[in-house]
Amino acid sequence: MAKKLYYDVSKCLACKSCELVCAVGKSSSKELQAALSEETKPLSCVKVKSLESKNFPIACRHCKEHPCVSACIAGALSYDKTKKLVDYDRNKCVGCWMCVMVCPYGAIRDNKALKIPVRCDLCQDADEPRCLKACPVGAIIYLEEEELDKLLKPKKSV
Amino acid sequence: MSTKKIVIIGNSAAGVAAIEAIRERDNASKITVISDESYSAYCRCLISNYLAGTIDENGLIYRDKKFYADNMVELLLEKKAEKVDVKKKNVVLEDKTQIPYDSLIIATGASSKMPKDLKGVSKKGVFAFRTINDARDILNLTTVSHTSCILGGGLIGLKAAYGLKKRGQDVKIIVRSGRLMSQVVDNIASSFILKRFQDNGIEVLLNSDVSEIIGNGDMKALKLDNGKVIGCSLAVIGKGVSPNVKLIKETDIKTDKGILVDEYMRTNIENVYAAGDVCQAYDLTMGKPEINALWPHAVEQGRYAGANICGDNLKYAGSFGMNSVEFFGLAIISIGIFDGDYETLSYADKDKEVYKKVVIDGDRLIGALFVGSIANSGLYTRLIKERINISGIKDDLLDENISYAKIKNLVKEEKEKIYI
Repeated sequence: MAKKLYYDVSKCLACKSCELVCAVGKSSSKELQAALSEETKPLSCVKVKSLESKNFPIACRHCKEHPCVSACIAGALSYDKTKKLVDYDRNKCVGCWMCVMVCPYGAIRDNKALKIPVRCDLCQDADEPRCLKACPVGAIIYLEEEELDKLLKPKKSV
Repeated sequence: MSTKKIVIIGNSAAGVAAIEAIRERDNASKITVISDESYSAYCRCLISNYLAGTIDENGLIYRDKKFYADNMVELLLEKKAEKVDVKKKNVVLEDKTQIPYDSLIIATGASSKMPKDLKGVSKKGVFAFRTINDARDILNLTTVSHTSCILGGGLIGLKAAYGLKKRGQDVKIIVRSGRLMSQVVDNIASSFILKRFQDNGIEVLLNSDVSEIIGNGDMKALKLDNGKVIGCSLAVIGKGVSPNVKLIKETDIKTDKGILVDEYMRTNIENVYAAGDVCQAYDLTMGKPEINALWPHAVEQGRYAGANICGDNLKYAGSFGMNSVEFFGLAIISIGIFDGDYETLSYADKDKEVYKKVVIDGDRLIGALFVGSIANSGLYTRLIKERINISGIKDDLLDENISYAKIKNLVKEEKEKIYI
């Protein structure tokens, strides 16, 4: 089982519901109202950015190359081959921002207050990524690559 | 699959990455790793965090003993490889043991440069800052030392200064040049860093050099070139590193500053590879072989060497200078070339202590500098690495809202199956 997040850019309206639910999910309370008053504001792992009237949610894609893992001087980032996931060990992280420096997608942000990298972990603490259900137009897809291929057959990737 | 004897000299970033790459492809060959240190692989870059007390020795572990067992690696610790005999294809240890190889990876790293001509440099209390043992020895002395002096304003020196300050030492940094981190950042960035160190109670003596280390056996003071004497019982030398190439001096393996390798991480001698701080690979921004003694490059190079030993023909694109550090809350990232006779665009806000600069050669980005705000710096690393034509997005390069969407159509993305 190695599901990944995919985004249907023909549907995304850049409403940023994914950003909101992500940030709340990364807060200590996991409640919107309470999260807003938390001393250290939680940051969203996904950011929606636009180009030529299309909207692109940008988040860690757990890429095969994962330069962040190579760059991690603390051994805090590792690649889990079974889950096809870049894993993060907060206990080892020292907040050196090497991962931010090498992410080819600019998908790792620095949480300066907590000294931790903010990056999508596919909500390992929940059953599925929170952004999935939060998206009002169904632009976020969470599937195994093979399942996606079946779904995509008639369609071409952009 | 034929089984080979693969020997790796060196057990840090490059050596470990090589092991992992080999074992992804080959479970049969015998791997022997030779290290002159007494630990399994540790996070060398974090010895300053260890010195500062923000992590303990456990936090330094990069790969534990189990890693070597799981990967069926014979790990020879506290064994110094004295020389390589490329004709007989073996490695000779200090105790004269011969270790034969079919394929060899030299990943011996680098050692601190000690100014041998400096009078008194061998006195007790004068340290290099490269290994756990260095950090531990320094730490032991901080219990009795009050003032620590750092010789050198580069990364190593500043990291030592940071660590010692956190341990309550009165820290003075003595820098020969007129600014801090002069090899990695430009004048403006230097001034931001200088301010941050001074604001945190560290005295920085620029344009100064040490002419003598004074003391009988134990150091007691430093004499500066202007005649001034500073009483201190602890000094750390941060004058850069030099590659550990002594063991191949008698061979025909080609060296320049370090061991020269081609894009497959091969030396000029068959079946002998080099990776990490000891090797001099192609530098993408300089356009010639250069040593970029940095952890991320060592990992990549080790991985390429390992993969290519197993018969892959993976071409390593090359390295370039890149560094990310944070001192007292000030984040600094320097990528590629930071200065020189090139077009530059920059933005500085002294009050917010934010600085961003890009260096452009024609229509290519060759360098970027970030102080205080480092968001999206990875995109710049990518633009440099992939030699992207940036003429169309020049005006966006200083924009803090630049994102992957902006460069999406410019970069090489084989088959982007994320956006459908």
